[in-house]
Amino acid sequence: MAALVQYLITGIGVGCAYALLGSGLVVIYRVTRVVNFAQGSFAVLAALTVTTLLAAGLPHGLAEVSAVLLAAAIGLLTGLVATGRPGTTPQSALIVTLGLGVFAYAVEILFWGDQPRSFPGLPGTVAGVQSHYLLIAAVTAVVLAATALLFARTDLGRALTATAEDPYAARAVGIDVRRMGLLAFVVGGALGGLAGVLITPVQQVTFDSDVALVVNGFSAAILGNLTRPGLTLAGGLLLGVVQALVGGYGSTSYQTEVALVLMLAVLIVRAGSTRAETA
Amino acid sequence: MRWIPFVLAAAVVPVFLGPGQLTVYVLLGLSAMAVVGLSLLMGYAGQVSLGQASFTAIGAYTAGLLAVHDVPPLLGLVVAPVAAALAAVVVGVPILRLRGHQLAFATLALQLILLSVLGDADWAGGAIGLQGLPYLSVFGFELNEDLHYAYLVLLGVVLTAVVASSLVRSRAGRGLRALATAPVAAEASGVPVGAYRLLVFAVSAAFAGLAGGIYAFFVGYLAPGSFPVLLSIEYVVMAVVGGLGSIAGAILGATLITLLVQALTSLATQPGMPGYAPGVLSYAVYAVLLIVIVLFVPRGVVPTLSRRFRRETSPGRPAPVDPAPARARPGAGR
Repeated sequence: MAALVQYLITGIGVGCAYALLGSGLVVIYRVTRVVNFAQGSFAVLAALTVTTLLAAGLPHGLAEVSAVLLAAAIGLLTGLVATGRPGTTPQSALIVTLGLGVFAYAVEILFWGDQPRSFPGLPGTVAGVQSHYLLIAAVTAVVLAATALLFARTDLGRALTATAEDPYAARAVGIDVRRMGLLAFVVGGALGGLAGVLITPVQQVTFDSDVALVVNGFSAAILGNLTRPGLTLAGGLLLGVVQALVGGYGSTSYQTEVALVLMLAVLIVRAGSTRAETA
Repeated sequence: MRWIPFVLAAAVVPVFLGPGQLTVYVLLGLSAMAVVGLSLLMGYAGQVSLGQASFTAIGAYTAGLLAVHDVPPLLGLVVAPVAAALAAVVVGVPILRLRGHQLAFATLALQLILLSVLGDADWAGGAIGLQGLPYLSVFGFELNEDLHYAYLVLLGVVLTAVVASSLVRSRAGRGLRALATAPVAAEASGVPVGAYRLLVFAVSAAFAGLAGGIYAFFVGYLAPGSFPVLLSIEYVVMAVVGGLGSIAGAILGATLITLLVQALTSLATQPGMPGYAPGVLSYAVYAVLLIVIVLFVPRGVVPTLSRRFRRETSPGRPAPVDPAPARARPGAGR
């Protein structure tokens, strides 16, 4: 029983990170229709930055926040490259973000090498579980709630939502659609960076961890068809918990397959049911 | 028959190459075979696949496993593309209903699953893989020199190019081109969209599988790490740079990227360069080329150049106005 509780809490912690990453994908996809393959790179870059800042003597907290801000700036750059040129289709933009993800490899190896890195998280244990998992869950809850409020209650958020719903009408009422797209990339970059900063103390990060991260984030987000933040959170938690249970009671080597098979199943079922509208 | 001089030139080149250069020649040809398939798939079926290397892996492991179990290597080489094509048909039926980013992630997921399964499978050597594979032998003649494989690969590239170009000119090819330009009209005129997409997917997988089979006998050992996700991305870069849907473009793209990365690697391994230089430079080159080509030369190098060439050689006619820029539909014909 104690083991089960432990697995559940670990799973929720990791799942929250997936949900944050997936929410970043959702914000960007809703506003720009671009699936940002570089989403995992935001997390990796932020996490690696924290290792450097901590080594340079910055206190915890400040180092993490700076790294998230850096990730937001990288998000803006990604948005500028991927959508800045008029007439770039979402399909081309996906390939561009793929290229940016590979470019991040070059930068990461140049500055941090190709060995796994990590940094200490929140120390101590609560009920036999590292308290860092609880921190991840708490931060995720606060951040996702704040993001939801941003979208629902502020003018900026309404402008973003309007752009997501109907870019043409949004432009007609005077919303700068292009700026909204870039803003979505900034928010997506920050969410991705936050996911990386939170998860690295419990999962080492390497320059090519981004593929696993973006696949898990995408799997979480695809449950809500890349447009529903609530379902993305649910998807992330489901994924994290199932992976923790499979890893705990089965074999850790099947953990990755769980996310992948779940994603494929959701995709295929959805393709079967909504074929007419997407074809 | 414009391509005959190129084949002759490619046949003369290996004679002048040293051992290390021959390896590059062989690997270049293997990439070209997989990329011809991917370019067909992306250009004609309009599908982004981030898992082309999984079919290379399936072909390689098929040939390798058969060879380990004392099946004649030539038979293994013939079965390799068949196995890859069968795998493509099996996974293609459900996943080819997906479009765009969904298919990209689905193919990526399939490759990650395959790598993870191969890494855990005792029957496939696990993470260590298969070692000590024999050389390919054809009716008692053992191909045990790099030069032999250079010509085998050249034969493979010509074979894939011929199959690909006849597929493009066939009824299925015309149907797919119609589909890329006007999907609704094509479907309404009775183009069996799903079946043709599946056909292209299977053929492109077979090309990669054949490349994998040759790779197994050439290198002599296989591991899941030989077919990373990055290899699939490398194939995408080559296909996009050369020009999607263009067979010559696929071969040129593979050649350009391989030679460029090779040149940078030899530059980066000069004494005095840091140990991380080769990795950093090759990642940067893949990334920059991919981004620049997608944004500024969306048709790819070969279709853009041949269009410009045609325009310049017919001065009497005004330059044809393209009704819809290719960027809006990268899958449209040439």
